[in-house]
Amino acid sequence: MPPVCIGFEVHQPYRLNRQFESVPKIKKRDLFDHYFDGLNKEILERVAEKCYNPATKIILEKLDNGFSCAFSLSGILIEQLEKWGKDTLSLFEQVARHKNTEIIGQTYYHSIASCFHDKTEFREQIRLHSDLMYDRFKVRPTIFENTEFTFNNDVAATVKDMDFSGIFTEGVDRVLGWRSPNHLYTCQGIPVMLRNTKLSDDIAFRFANRTWDMYPLTADTYAKWIASSHGDVINVFLDFETFGEHFWKDTGIFDFLHSLPDELARRGVESILPSECVSRFSPVGEINVSETISWADLEKDTSAWMGNDRQRAAFHAVQIAQPYAIDKPIWRYLQTSDHFYYMASKYGTCGEVHTYFSHHDADDAFKTYMKVLADYEARNIRVMKNRKSAKTLRTLAPEQAFHFAGPTGYIGHSAYNLDQFEELLYIVPKDSIQFHIERGDFSRWITNILEDPRLAESMAGLKERHDLVTVIKERRELLWSHLK
Amino acid sequence: MESLKIAFFCWESMYAERVGGLANAATNLAETLVKQEHDVHFYTRGMMPDQTIKGVHYHYCQPAGNNIVEYCDAMSRAMVDHFKKDDATDQFDFLHFHDWHVVQALHQLKDRNTILTFHSTEYGRNGNQAGDWWEFKEVSGKEWYGGLIAKRVTAVSATLKNEVMQLYNVPQEKCDVIPNGVVPREYRTNIDPGEVKQAYGIHPYAPMILFIGRLVYQKGPDLFIEAIRKVCQYRWDAKVIVAGDGGMRELLRERARDLPVNFVGYIPDSEYIRLLNAADIVVIPSRNEPFGLVLLEAWSAEKCVVACNVGGLSENIDAFVNGVKVEVNPESLAWGINTMIDEPWNAGALGKRGRRKVDRIFLWGPIVKGLTETYARSVS
Repeated sequence: MPPVCIGFEVHQPYRLNRQFESVPKIKKRDLFDHYFDGLNKEILERVAEKCYNPATKIILEKLDNGFSCAFSLSGILIEQLEKWGKDTLSLFEQVARHKNTEIIGQTYYHSIASCFHDKTEFREQIRLHSDLMYDRFKVRPTIFENTEFTFNNDVAATVKDMDFSGIFTEGVDRVLGWRSPNHLYTCQGIPVMLRNTKLSDDIAFRFANRTWDMYPLTADTYAKWIASSHGDVINVFLDFETFGEHFWKDTGIFDFLHSLPDELARRGVESILPSECVSRFSPVGEINVSETISWADLEKDTSAWMGNDRQRAAFHAVQIAQPYAIDKPIWRYLQTSDHFYYMASKYGTCGEVHTYFSHHDADDAFKTYMKVLADYEARNIRVMKNRKSAKTLRTLAPEQAFHFAGPTGYIGHSAYNLDQFEELLYIVPKDSIQFHIERGDFSRWITNILEDPRLAESMAGLKERHDLVTVIKERRELLWSHLK
Repeated sequence: MESLKIAFFCWESMYAERVGGLANAATNLAETLVKQEHDVHFYTRGMMPDQTIKGVHYHYCQPAGNNIVEYCDAMSRAMVDHFKKDDATDQFDFLHFHDWHVVQALHQLKDRNTILTFHSTEYGRNGNQAGDWWEFKEVSGKEWYGGLIAKRVTAVSATLKNEVMQLYNVPQEKCDVIPNGVVPREYRTNIDPGEVKQAYGIHPYAPMILFIGRLVYQKGPDLFIEAIRKVCQYRWDAKVIVAGDGGMRELLRERARDLPVNFVGYIPDSEYIRLLNAADIVVIPSRNEPFGLVLLEAWSAEKCVVACNVGGLSENIDAFVNGVKVEVNPESLAWGINTMIDEPWNAGALGKRGRRKVDRIFLWGPIVKGLTETYARSVS
């Protein structure tokens, strides 16, 4: 009978201010409240009351009785608890310092930084998180889980290089093939624990589903499933908000949580910590993950954050904003995965999940995000060395972006910075380019908004898209070299 | 796989002389090969000096001739002359020919590793029947000869592959299917459908049905108009846009006089994108379709497709998974359209699944992987 290794991801983002409008004169210390929503406090207090407090109390009781589990707490959650939930924080502190729990690492900002080309930022955020865990709980994590289990070979290699002894990811069928997730594997030389998708989702998604043939799920039945599983270890990893927030108290989720450790013990199923798992078992094989996987939605890839053009545009914009990040924390708050999650356009049950978690609709989420990012960059440009180049390359708010059109109207492609503009020149239809050239729109936008008359001049007279692209590319690379 | 040096021979390309869909397909194949680290030289027609775009080296020629066949022979000779210069310094690994126009060049270089791709056949272009005029015979003859001497042959669909095998006796084991691809980003954009519908005088919530294509017999616009008559008896609010031009336009206009059909004629690509993203249902009523690129474009935009069960459409659509397949008659078409108007949630799901199929199968990257396997087979 394999032991079970249970872990919880605990995180709350700083949601952006839905009513954000750029205000020229604002004091630096007020900037944070200007960018982020007052709703954050309200939501944190609600989640603490409905989920964190009752669930943590149950866990604490069970830890004393010999139950073991792991916690992964994001840095921005801790920040928010410090401000608005001191009592909850002390509960988490008791949990974290308990001998039967293990605190595992993640990025401080619960960010998408692992998807950046350059992994420096990713490393930095892991380090920040590790420092925070040490300051708060006097532990340094040795096991890592990336934001929503985002994972690929590069992530594995980076995390190994940072001396972690193991990493979690999703047991994705297309990676595993015929192999079982209930064993330890390696990837790029680091031990990998794979989440058992079915057993995890039985709780996380199906628990209160009345049309499920196993409804209502009892701890007894669930423990039986675990006990009858095969393999070395069963990894169950859940959003901590599953208890009380995704499923409210009246679904019986707390009773489930309360009884599960006892039912497991009654059947002789041992609960172990991730680091025990890594030291006790030897890897049975190697996995090679060239595409990026995660635990999100049905696709189990990055499409929850980078599935549509809006999301990709926003991701690209925040990635290239690094030279503008004089004030690093705000740039990093903007990397939190949740912002991208809100911009998703998915349908079906996955779409419902996205809507449930979002405080505004996908298009608004995108526009707000770009407005905030544009405002943030504009503020930092004032103190940058090479202001001219920075201005031309900056990301723009929606009203300043270049919206491609045909003779009858908007065709749905917009460029929020020069990089995207160049990329879109190959995507938009030829007649749209001709339309804009004839009206002089390109040169007007580049001269007035991007403030680069030299580029506009060198584009004058060019008609073919690849000629335009060549000129822009050359100029863009030169300007970026000024900012490096 | 190691980096290959590849020559493309095609009478049209995206950045110079462009006639139809062939330019798009050949240029995308070439550019994707370059992305996968191969070296591609593209011999084609054009009035400009040679240039390199997105890593593909274009070599242009300006042939002349009294008729299309002479013209293409002259073009082939000019291409081969140019090719030989580039070949002398560093020999090409594979020579890829597109359609009959360049068969003369294929003939001159027949001892090399050659691949001939059929994007269509003269028989198919002529409405699935043989012609008795000399050009027809000449072009068909070239297609037959190309299929005979090329080391490998590819076709854009299994339907076209069978057609080539039957018409020109190309053996099955020499022939591969390399489908057309699409760049979904070009078609799926962020447009408010209501705004576009209003620009055409359609209520934002009224179901809009789109037909796009040449108004010729092969594409079945007449079947479509008759089907719409039945749809309108069922749904008074359905509105129809017919985009594209052709010989049947006046006839169709006459027939649709009492129907809510707007013939917008030939439209530029920018307008096509607007209409495509605003439409609720895209109908492809073709009588014959070797591949059916509109299908990939509609799927890219996550649109529900109602199409006749013929050729490439029949092959690629999975019934009620990612589209609706109907018989080639107005009754069946009307039934398909009505079903989808009644179930907009289902139509949306079908369109989404179509997009997923595009992302799985019809992106240029994976298609070119298949193509390089075909190249490898041309050696053995």
